[in-house]
Amino acid sequence: MSFLNRAYFASAWAVAWRYLHNLYTKPAVFVPGLIFPLFFLAAFAGGLSSVGDVPGFDYYDFTAFQFCFVLIQASALAGVFVGFSIAGDFEMGMGRRMMLATSNRSAIVIGYAIGAALRLIVVWVIITGVSLLAGMGVRGDGFDIAGMYMLGLLANLAALFFSAGIALRFRSLQAGPLMQMPVFIILFLAPVYVPQELLTGWIEPVASVNPVTALLDGARSLIAGEPSGLLLAYGVAIGLIAVMAVWAMRGLRKAEVAG
Amino acid sequence: MNDEKNGIEVEGLVREFKNGPRAVDGIDLTVEPGEIYGFLGPNGAGKSTTVHMLTTLLPPTSGSARVAGLDVDKDGAAVRKLIGAALQEAALDPHLTAREHMKLQTSLHGLPKEERIRRGDELIERVGLSEAADRRVGGYSGGMKRRLDLALALVHRPRVLFLDEPTTGLDPQSRASLWAEVTRLSADDGVTVFLTTQYLEEADQLANRVGIIDAGRIAAEGTPAALKSEIGRPSVEVVPRDPADRAASKAILDRFGIPVPAAREALGIRLNEGIDELVGIVRAFDSEKIELASLVLNEPTLDDVFLAKTGRHLEGAGEADSAELPLPESDPVAS
Repeated sequence: MSFLNRAYFASAWAVAWRYLHNLYTKPAVFVPGLIFPLFFLAAFAGGLSSVGDVPGFDYYDFTAFQFCFVLIQASALAGVFVGFSIAGDFEMGMGRRMMLATSNRSAIVIGYAIGAALRLIVVWVIITGVSLLAGMGVRGDGFDIAGMYMLGLLANLAALFFSAGIALRFRSLQAGPLMQMPVFIILFLAPVYVPQELLTGWIEPVASVNPVTALLDGARSLIAGEPSGLLLAYGVAIGLIAVMAVWAMRGLRKAEVAG
Repeated sequence: MNDEKNGIEVEGLVREFKNGPRAVDGIDLTVEPGEIYGFLGPNGAGKSTTVHMLTTLLPPTSGSARVAGLDVDKDGAAVRKLIGAALQEAALDPHLTAREHMKLQTSLHGLPKEERIRRGDELIERVGLSEAADRRVGGYSGGMKRRLDLALALVHRPRVLFLDEPTTGLDPQSRASLWAEVTRLSADDGVTVFLTTQYLEEADQLANRVGIIDAGRIAAEGTPAALKSEIGRPSVEVVPRDPADRAASKAILDRFGIPVPAAREALGIRLNEGIDELVGIVRAFDSEKIELASLVLNEPTLDDVFLAKTGRHLEGAGEADSAELPLPESDPVAS
């Protein structure tokens, strides 16, 4: 780990700084990643709140139930959109500039990850604010809530490394659907609207093995102040990050070989 | 800075792409420390692929290359600390200003925080962008982008600088300004410069030595003067004012050299002895009372070298002409 020196972090921070600079000077890039979770929150937590009254739905607050999904979804999408930025950078040549200027190129991926995490704070503030304004109840204490956001951060990192792996392999924005679609699909194959126990048909077994289910269950237990299944939730999240980090770093090697 | 490890040594370098020909097919070359080496060749000859390998952007398929004393394949991270590169397309972010680009580049290179602003400002001033430093690069002209790109390549004081077709598409003024800076870097700072170009004039004026690459292979290498003298003596083209004097003109010229292809209506010879015979030719036409519409002395050019070595003209020569570049090798002495 001798490469983890001042120059390494300076390089990573430079990548993160540029990512954030462009994000906040170009609202067209920042807003789409926020619109969808907000729309989802408004549509389901507001318009479909009566779903919370169905028999067997014993969660304390439907808005909080939906908020956890929106939190994980927004966090993951923020990670996916970093992949778009990476692909765009390689298309316009900035990827090559960064590859030339950094002695240890893993700093580039780490830089994007730092940028994504900082972007995420703004996203969290907005969706949390909107949810609280919509009357969301919070039963968990400070540690519980911190743990819930930590799950969001881990979902963000996993999605980021996944999309970075795609972006570094294709180095083209045309690979956008390959980054976005799998994440969308896996998110919606989890218990989005009702607890897993109320799911029926083919979706139930799919949701039971979907790693997002563990994240959602963990986050929902934390905001409810009744932590449960956290070992599984964090274990799944960290496992996903480990696998996707390898995927991203191998993508970086592919980008290096391709020139 | 001019120490013996600042050079480039390449042996049998090959790059193959999947389902494609060998872009670089076993080249050998040596660039001495502090030298400006011009890598001349047409589009698709393998110039940029070579630069990408030497700058660690692309691993070689086989062969070896050492830049600043380090193996590009095995010591890539260390090589990148010692080299700077301005690639063919100036990769700049249109949403950042020049100053912000400097901030980004100095940070990417891991320069100490206290040095970043000072070094950035110094280079912005050196390339004449001080007034535009806080404007977004999206509004810059091609020449300004190139100058910024060059400045960015220099932030960490590289020992070896790679410039991939740095003046393509630039106006003559921007081109001259960039040439002056490259010359200064080599002469004053001892930076070794590896410059690819398809412009004959650029290689001729800037480079201490030139390597001519065609179809992935080095076709010729040497100083521009040596390469030109290698392929021979100057040629002369004359156009008699009266077409009826054509046969007599040819008879005169045949006394001074061997016929070579010439422009339409002109008669051309390669001089037997050299430029000193020009006076004799003029006197011979005078004594025969043959009036000439034109008489042009052509020194050998790098394009002649390219033609002699590869059997065809360099594509870029035409582009340079269309950009209204003067061709100093062509020296009309009478008309």
